Amino acid sequence: MAAVLHELAEHAEVRWTGRVRPTLNGAPDADCQLQCEASDLPEICNWLFSERHYSFGGLVVEQRQRWELRYLFYGEGKEGWVHVVTYLPESGERIPSIAKLVHAADWHEREAEDAFGLVFEGHPRLGDFVLHNDVWHEGVAPMRRAFDGSRPVTHREPDLNWKPRRIVEEAGAFAMPVGPLYSVATAPVYFQLETVGEDVIRAQPRLFYAYRGLEKIAEGRRAEDVLLIAERISATSAFAHSLAFCQAVERLSDVEVPERASSLRIFLAELERLRHHVAAIEGICESTGLTVAAAQAGILQEDLLRISGRLTGHRYLFGLNAFGGLAMELTDAACASAANGVSDVAQRLATLQSMLSTSSSFLDRLEDVGDVSKSDAVDFGLVGPVARASGLARDLRKAQPYCGYEKIDFRIPQESEGDGYARLRVFFREAEQSARVVSNLARAIPPGPYRRPQVSLRPGAALGWVEAPNGAAMHWLRLGEAGRVDRYRIVTPSFANWHGFRLAAENFAFQDFPIILATFALSVHENDR
Amino acid sequence: MSQWVISGLRTGIKSTRYPRVKEIAPGTAPGLPGATPLPADRAQAIAALCPTGALDAAHGGVNVDLRRCVNCFRCARDTDWPMNWDYNYECAAAPGNGNSHVSRLGPAFSRSAHILVVDAGDCGACLNEVKQLNNPYYNMHRLGFFFTPTPRHADLLLVVGALTEHMRVPLRKAYDAMPGPKRVIAVGTCALSGGVFGRTFACAGGVKDLLPVDVEVAGNPPPPLAILHGLLVAVGRKPPGSLRRALRDTENGAS
Amino acid sequence: MAMQLLLVISLALCGVGVVLPLIINERRIPSLLGILGVAISGGLLFFSGAALFGGAAFRATLWTIPPLVTLTLELDKLSALFLFVSGLVLLPASIFASGHLDAYLNRYSLRAFCVSYFSLFATLILIPLSADVVSFLMLWELMSILLYLIVGYEHEVEEHARSAYVMFAIGEAGTLLIAFAFIVLAANGSLEFAALKAAGGSLGDGARWAVFLLAFIGFSVKAGLIPVNFWLPRAYTSAPLPFVPVLAGATLNLGLYGIVRLDGDLLRVTAPGPGLVVLIIGSVTALLGILYATTQSDLKTLLAHSSIENAGIIATALGAGFVFVGSGHPSIAAIAFAAAFYHMLNHSIYKSLLFVATGAVDSNVGTRNIDRLGGLIKAMPLTAGFFLIGALSIAALPPFNGFVSEWLTLQTMLLSAGMASTGIKIVFAICGAILALTAALAVTCFVKAFAMSFLGMPRSESAGNARRANSSAILPMAFLGVLCFVLGVAPTYVIPVLDGAIGPLAQQARAADALIPPFFVGNPHHRELPASFVADFHTLGAQLGQSVLPGRGLVVMHRGGANNPVVFAMSTSYMAAVLPLMLLGVFVVFRLIVVRGRAVERRAVWDGGIRRLLPEMTYTGTGFSNPVRVIFEAVFRPTTVEDTRETVGKHFRAVIRRTRGENHVLDRLLLNPISDAALWVANGFARMHHGVLNAYVFYGLGALIAALLVARFS
Repeated sequence: MAAVLHELAEHAEVRWTGRVRPTLNGAPDADCQLQCEASDLPEICNWLFSERHYSFGGLVVEQRQRWELRYLFYGEGKEGWVHVVTYLPESGERIPSIAKLVHAADWHEREAEDAFGLVFEGHPRLGDFVLHNDVWHEGVAPMRRAFDGSRPVTHREPDLNWKPRRIVEEAGAFAMPVGPLYSVATAPVYFQLETVGEDVIRAQPRLFYAYRGLEKIAEGRRAEDVLLIAERISATSAFAHSLAFCQAVERLSDVEVPERASSLRIFLAELERLRHHVAAIEGICESTGLTVAAAQAGILQEDLLRISGRLTGHRYLFGLNAFGGLAMELTDAACASAANGVSDVAQRLATLQSMLSTSSSFLDRLEDVGDVSKSDAVDFGLVGPVARASGLARDLRKAQPYCGYEKIDFRIPQESEGDGYARLRVFFREAEQSARVVSNLARAIPPGPYRRPQVSLRPGAALGWVEAPNGAAMHWLRLGEAGRVDRYRIVTPSFANWHGFRLAAENFAFQDFPIILATFALSVHENDR
Repeated sequence: MSQWVISGLRTGIKSTRYPRVKEIAPGTAPGLPGATPLPADRAQAIAALCPTGALDAAHGGVNVDLRRCVNCFRCARDTDWPMNWDYNYECAAAPGNGNSHVSRLGPAFSRSAHILVVDAGDCGACLNEVKQLNNPYYNMHRLGFFFTPTPRHADLLLVVGALTEHMRVPLRKAYDAMPGPKRVIAVGTCALSGGVFGRTFACAGGVKDLLPVDVEVAGNPPPPLAILHGLLVAVGRKPPGSLRRALRDTENGAS
Repeated sequence: MAMQLLLVISLALCGVGVVLPLIINERRIPSLLGILGVAISGGLLFFSGAALFGGAAFRATLWTIPPLVTLTLELDKLSALFLFVSGLVLLPASIFASGHLDAYLNRYSLRAFCVSYFSLFATLILIPLSADVVSFLMLWELMSILLYLIVGYEHEVEEHARSAYVMFAIGEAGTLLIAFAFIVLAANGSLEFAALKAAGGSLGDGARWAVFLLAFIGFSVKAGLIPVNFWLPRAYTSAPLPFVPVLAGATLNLGLYGIVRLDGDLLRVTAPGPGLVVLIIGSVTALLGILYATTQSDLKTLLAHSSIENAGIIATALGAGFVFVGSGHPSIAAIAFAAAFYHMLNHSIYKSLLFVATGAVDSNVGTRNIDRLGGLIKAMPLTAGFFLIGALSIAALPPFNGFVSEWLTLQTMLLSAGMASTGIKIVFAICGAILALTAALAVTCFVKAFAMSFLGMPRSESAGNARRANSSAILPMAFLGVLCFVLGVAPTYVIPVLDGAIGPLAQQARAADALIPPFFVGNPHHRELPASFVADFHTLGAQLGQSVLPGRGLVVMHRGGANNPVVFAMSTSYMAAVLPLMLLGVFVVFRLIVVRGRAVERRAVWDGGIRRLLPEMTYTGTGFSNPVRVIFEAVFRPTTVEDTRETVGKHFRAVIRRTRGENHVLDRLLLNPISDAALWVANGFARMHHGVLNAYVFYGLGALIAALLVARFS
């Protein structure tokens, strides 16, 4: 594993002589840190992205004695993780933007600007992202240390002359508002669909209506309490995010998780993935108006929720992960019974899939609708089932295995059309794979403790990652003294996929918009944090 | 088309018979801590475990304020004296200033009420449980509840989430756009007390900061049966319960 | 005798209107125009009304031009109808014009406008009266020239000058065709209409077809039918504001007058063939007209295309009438002609109303672009109300006049079931279907026109600052609006009046006989109806009003004969009585039972929770009509001229700019190929003009040789 990274580090040293300082961390989770000057940042990141074909993972901004900006890149297998780190002096605020070269960093830089007040020079669209500028004053940077996150902030006077920013210039064009409250029981998001009546020409979502400031309120809390927050980033991926957080803590404190705990974690993670994908399928059927199929999928989702609740005591798998393993024992018998239920669900899911694939009026709404090309998916850094449907099949479970996934036998489905039907097929096949993993695991959970007792937390920083049901999630954690969280950075898959959502929604008719939205299965809560 | 009909007939009737019959299928209602008699020092120890202050040690044991419980299970697992667990999900409360009739809609709505669901900064769990009310297992249509996307047709405003700053204006506008009579149901611990987030710069720590709350449903998330109970309380078909589990109540039998 | 006096006085006043503006101050001209216009219209109404209602008629011979013709003026009921309609339109139009000429005060010559206006007025009066070929053609030419002058009034704008020129050019081509038609018809020498009428019976089949088609195509230029109506949208859009109601309400009818007079009266139709041609052209015109109307965003152009649509409907009804006459069913033909004339009358009224309202909007807001209007109902409530009446009428909704004529037209299409020939029935079925589609699209079009202009939020600053319309616009609109209503609720009184005009066309069959059964007891024909039939209708109340109201009854009904035992009936009169009662009832119920003393609160529009709903977030007219554009894409074939996406870096978009171009289907299929062909031929000839002297000498030599050869061998 280290050989590839060694070569990379040497190449970087040669190419940017004197301006790059690589550091290699050894196995088992090899990563390479390239410390560089801010001015070289765009070039280096572009090199990693375009020439070395690394995926851009996220941007971590930390305010320590000086500003520390960490650009995360990950590759396939031995390529490992590359962190490009640059420092700014405490008073410095300007840093060159890499968004024109690595477009996946677009929203990360916008978020950092809103949250920290850093200016990314060359980024054409800063402002009004996380903090809506009709609510907050200019210049409120809540993630800075000086900002007290526990008290409410006075709002600004609403601007009566505010107009939406429109980019379509055509006679008769208008900007149709959808949201933030629209349809039935949806999370809040505002779309401004610019159109001339039939086709949506531009669909830019305005998110962060559900911004709870999780990264800020985590600071200063004990790690056990922040685990509760990690679960509640997005409840439909609760186990995955809590797993990422625990892995960060375990990596930081050099804790080895017992085998049984790892296996049970995989068991529960795949159970969650199965349930999430069934919910996504239900959403797609509902959006096309095929209520019968949605009802059948709803039955399956409730079955899975009840299986989860019966097995673990919580329908959404809250409160299961703990540092060093699981928080409670799951007996083999209970797991076997749950796996039986899961097999039954998987069987009915397969029947549902075969019925849907012969329902031509349903397929008509999905085929060739909401296309995302592979090159766009790569440019925007899409992840998860959405990316796999466009031919970009990078899955952290195979690319950077964690928690024992390297020993599990499963396949990553991949489609190439990138339309709504391809995404639906990916959901079905991934669900099928998850059900298989659950059934196989239930027969072969190794005996042993379910938790490493007496975990003592060490200060330091580490990255925990997981392939959440929606895609790759990365949690960067820095612990201070006494096990309190110093900085908690959450990069979620929905953040990347919301960024690329407009690729699919644009140039299709209005009527297709809710269907395209449903096929992406995006989570507003996961994005907004 | 006929394949759907046949598969539907084969699936059979899945709807629960709640509220006529109490639903006991496993996994439908994970339960919440109940009041537990304990010696004083242990009661103090357990109450200190709670991250949101839902437990208070008093009068010979531990009382539970369900408005604050976030289902972290620490009081049930991390301790040698775990709390009693109460699987009763019918605990929606109607705080209405002591006059319980004010908090409920009139008899005209008891079998036909339209609900507007607003997510004011939820984590997704409560919203998903609310969405499950439409699946064949719970089928709230048979009880006369319908979701509506517009406040103009809504009688009940169901709010989930801890009320983020960005959602103040939309939530207020939705409430103002509803014609009377109207009631507000706050679902989930975040909507009642801010949950694990509390009152911060981004969250108001509960819906009552902005709107008058008529019915409260606690849980993190409350299972669909609990939300259904809350809806039935809101239209007056079920008596309200209590979100406070105190030791004296346990003597009279849990509500 | 009194009639001639009235005519002379009207013409004299027109003369005054031509001479006086040259003398008086320019500022006085608008009021002069108004006063004279009203006076002349009044005279015209009396004079033609006397003929139409009273049966007066006259014939006057003017100068004789030997050996050609004796110039003759004749007034019969057909002419009287068209004169009456012109009068009804010119009265409010003159008031409107007088109030809106001030915009041109220092830019163009008001004198020129006034002179042209009254000259045109005079030709409008004289053309229906002329009863010989020479005076007809001279007056027709004079009218074309005057129209050119008035339509191109704003000659400094190049586009307006071009539109006027196109109108004039194709008008001349049409006049040429009309002249040829007259020549063929007048084969045996005499050029008076009476003589032509007598001679019409002796023409051969080929000549009949030639006359019919030449006259039809020639007059359809003015009438606005395809394929020669491409001038109409351009001209209507370019014509000056004060004049457009006259353009739409009076001059369009002249084309129809020509068709009816020449093809229906002078040349008796003896075969169904020509009528089928008119029928098909009429229905396709109607469909194309409304398709383009629905997708326009300029109110004036929208109304222009809608005029094309209405002209198509009138032509359809006329064609049906011709077919029935040619197949020997004069009584059904009378129904068809009644529908045609009724629709012409209605169209003049409601189109003028709509144009006056559009003019009021244009002058008070400053723009006619629907996508920049909006919310005008608050600033201009009366204008909005009258526009609504016009829109309801043109969309053929009861109780307004459009409903009656559209209903009658569709019923005549159904009457074809009684025809013997299957081919005719198929054509009628298809044209009827096209007409039904047109009617539906018309509703869409005018929902868009009204709703996007008057309802919702103002989409531009000028729409937000609109002023109220002044009385020079309100009075005409009120007059026309009341007429719309009256013509809609009293069809059983209008149809007998139209009968006079129908008589010469349908071999003296009377539409009133076919359409208005005598229910009122006092009427001598009352006993003609079968008793059981009468009993049924009496239970429905058909005889209500019998001792109070004159006439035969208030129900428009047609009972088919033995071979077509279908009854169709309607009564907008009763509808207009019952509808308010129902609305009143609903209102009372609502107030007493639902509201019951409770306060009604008004809250803001629900907008999804956004901070503020802005006008640019609301639908535009273009967006509303886009589905029509998409469905009929094969007709429209829009071309996107530009589609630029300015980006800052690879995926950051700054602007997406699209310009959509549209080429009218007629331009694409007819005008452009023809003009390309003509240019090609001209270029070919131009190559001969290369300036080489020797070649010209050779041409001369060649021509000489050719002439000698011809002389030798002939």
